[in-house]
Amino acid sequence: MLLPLFFGLLIFAVYPSAYVLALSFTKSTLGQPFKSWVGWGNYRWLVAGADEIFTQSLLRAALFSLGVALVELWLGLWLALRLVSLRRGGRLVRSIMLLPLMTPPILVGVAWKLLLAPGGGLVNGKLLAWGLIDVPISFLGTQPWAMLSIMVADTWQWTPFVAILAYAALRQVPDDVIEAARLDGANQRAIFWQILLPLTAPLLLAIFVLRLIMAFKTFDLLYILTFGGPGDSTDMAGFSIWRMALRDFDVGTAAAETVLFAVCVSIVILPFLWLHRRVEERTL
Amino acid sequence: MTQQIEYRAGSSLSRRTLLAAAAAGAGALSLSPLLRSGAFAGQELNLTIIQPHAIAGEVLKKLFLEQAGVTLNFTVIPYDQVHSQATLDVQSGANHYDVHDYWYTSIGALVDDKVVVDVTDLIERDKDKVRPDDFIKSIYDAYTLVNGRRWGLPYDGDSHVLFFNTEILRRHGLEAPATWDAYYQAVKTITEKEKSEGIYGTALLGFKVPVIIVSSYANRLAGFGGKFLKDGQPDLVSEESVAAADELVRVAPYALPTPSETAFDQALPAFLSGKIAFLEFWTDLGVRAQDPNNSKIVDKWDVTQLPVGGGNKHPVAALDAGFGWAISAGSKKKDLAWEFVRWATSNQIGLKLLTTYNSGIDPTRNSTLNAAEYKSFAPKVQRAAAAAFGSALVWPTVPQAPKLLETLTEQLALILAGQIKPKAGLEAAQRTWERLLV
Repeated sequence: MLLPLFFGLLIFAVYPSAYVLALSFTKSTLGQPFKSWVGWGNYRWLVAGADEIFTQSLLRAALFSLGVALVELWLGLWLALRLVSLRRGGRLVRSIMLLPLMTPPILVGVAWKLLLAPGGGLVNGKLLAWGLIDVPISFLGTQPWAMLSIMVADTWQWTPFVAILAYAALRQVPDDVIEAARLDGANQRAIFWQILLPLTAPLLLAIFVLRLIMAFKTFDLLYILTFGGPGDSTDMAGFSIWRMALRDFDVGTAAAETVLFAVCVSIVILPFLWLHRRVEERTL
Repeated sequence: MTQQIEYRAGSSLSRRTLLAAAAAGAGALSLSPLLRSGAFAGQELNLTIIQPHAIAGEVLKKLFLEQAGVTLNFTVIPYDQVHSQATLDVQSGANHYDVHDYWYTSIGALVDDKVVVDVTDLIERDKDKVRPDDFIKSIYDAYTLVNGRRWGLPYDGDSHVLFFNTEILRRHGLEAPATWDAYYQAVKTITEKEKSEGIYGTALLGFKVPVIIVSSYANRLAGFGGKFLKDGQPDLVSEESVAAADELVRVAPYALPTPSETAFDQALPAFLSGKIAFLEFWTDLGVRAQDPNNSKIVDKWDVTQLPVGGGNKHPVAALDAGFGWAISAGSKKKDLAWEFVRWATSNQIGLKLLTTYNSGIDPTRNSTLNAAEYKSFAPKVQRAAAAAFGSALVWPTVPQAPKLLETLTEQLALILAGQIKPKAGLEAAQRTWERLLV
């Protein structure tokens, strides 16, 4: 029974991981993988010798992911609470809410690039028309606007995903518990903080961790909106790895970056996995 | 003619005769006797081609089918992915492609990774057809020579020239600048006076991609008389190199907002709609600028060589972009592939592409550069191009070139964004280049 699972894991998890790990200790190009053994050379270069370019991109990815995951969790939860309280049209609203999620990521990037363009973009047009600015803002060409713009576009696209999952989590709470609380005189605020949130905390934390891991891998928005610029201020780990492998053609260093990236993601999500386990135990 | 061939498809001898007649009738002087005989008729060739050359591909496909009876299957690829596509095709064993469109700076890497075929002996054998002496000297070696051997033939000879809007300059009593300092003063004047109308002195192409931002830098480096490499070693911290980067930073505040975001899709519409006075661009922009379907500045523009700076008094063109055809090492039709490469880079086909609107092709041969047809098709551009190719700055073509250019792109982007001073950025690039070229 376990044999298919074993072979599946071997082919789709163990082999690729071992291949990447082995590559990371070699000098490899796109045309000549495993060209020569360099030991820890690639790692030493990334951590100590490359003017901190990759370590900074890891830090940016971590801050970006934590930021968007937190914002999307709260926004998504707020939307889910509105959905739960809807008496009519809930299904229609849920369908409309999913539209950003159904849009191909590349199109999301293109749409936001057009919206944020200094010349002819809708956002600058409105800000100028309302007299809030005198000259167009280069949202994608200056900091901190560039990183904020990517976060806004990401939030626009993924908040509905979080909202739908949070809605499902809220619907799991038995109605009679909430009814009993209302009969005891609890207002909406008290119901949320003392009943809904504690009961749905494990699920919400799971959604947060899921979104956090997904955010770490953000590539398409970056590629379209800023290409890592201005300068390297929006260059995040996933983009950096792609560039190293498919533009520098330094596959060995890209493999080392991948390993370091996986370590970084693990370090960031571990505390939240621990927290999830604790909260789950307390809820049960 | 095509219908007759289809009707008699069953008879290979008749088909060959028809094709031979068609080729002769079409004036296909560039066809070899082998192609003319119809030996390859009915076969197919798979090629990669960059997006900007898609129209050129359509022209080649039609002509090669008419003249040689061979179908060309082009896969259009973004120009910054054509190297990785070629390498992966051979390295993976797929070997789908027979001929690759390659950016000349990647020729060293393609040779090192054994992606392309040595054509030195073929060039020598077919010397009378290839006419290697006719290739523009500055282009021929840069695009094809690695370790003393030839690995492809040039078909798009790119260099930047300085386009300017004559109406805007006239309004301000300005002339085409001969130096980078005069250029800066002109750009500053125009922007300060007309920014409120949405008109700027220039669009500075600073998007974080080698062929864009490094071209902007290379134009200045060439003007100041600098080089990327000197005797095979990095030369990025010379006086000329730093001056070139300083020049880039100096003009940025007066350029179309925002240089870091400005790529072709921002700069071209701005120039063709009369919103900017200057644009450093490839010579084929001149053809587009005269096309009333694409341009609002027909007859309101002119072109000159790129300015000079510092101690350098003679204009030098930077060989920005530039493409050739190479035979894939994985091709099973290397003979036919060579016939195509030789035909597509011939004088006749080159002239056909040069005089086709939006083909994206620029001269690679002296005969096409100075041809009467090209002179009458694009007189202003021909004059500037003829002057440009006399002396040229070649980008690195060593096997490490892709990584060298990405590193330099990174530092130039940091410099343009104001995150690092020009000298510090170039020093960082120099350190990385030294490590890579060890």
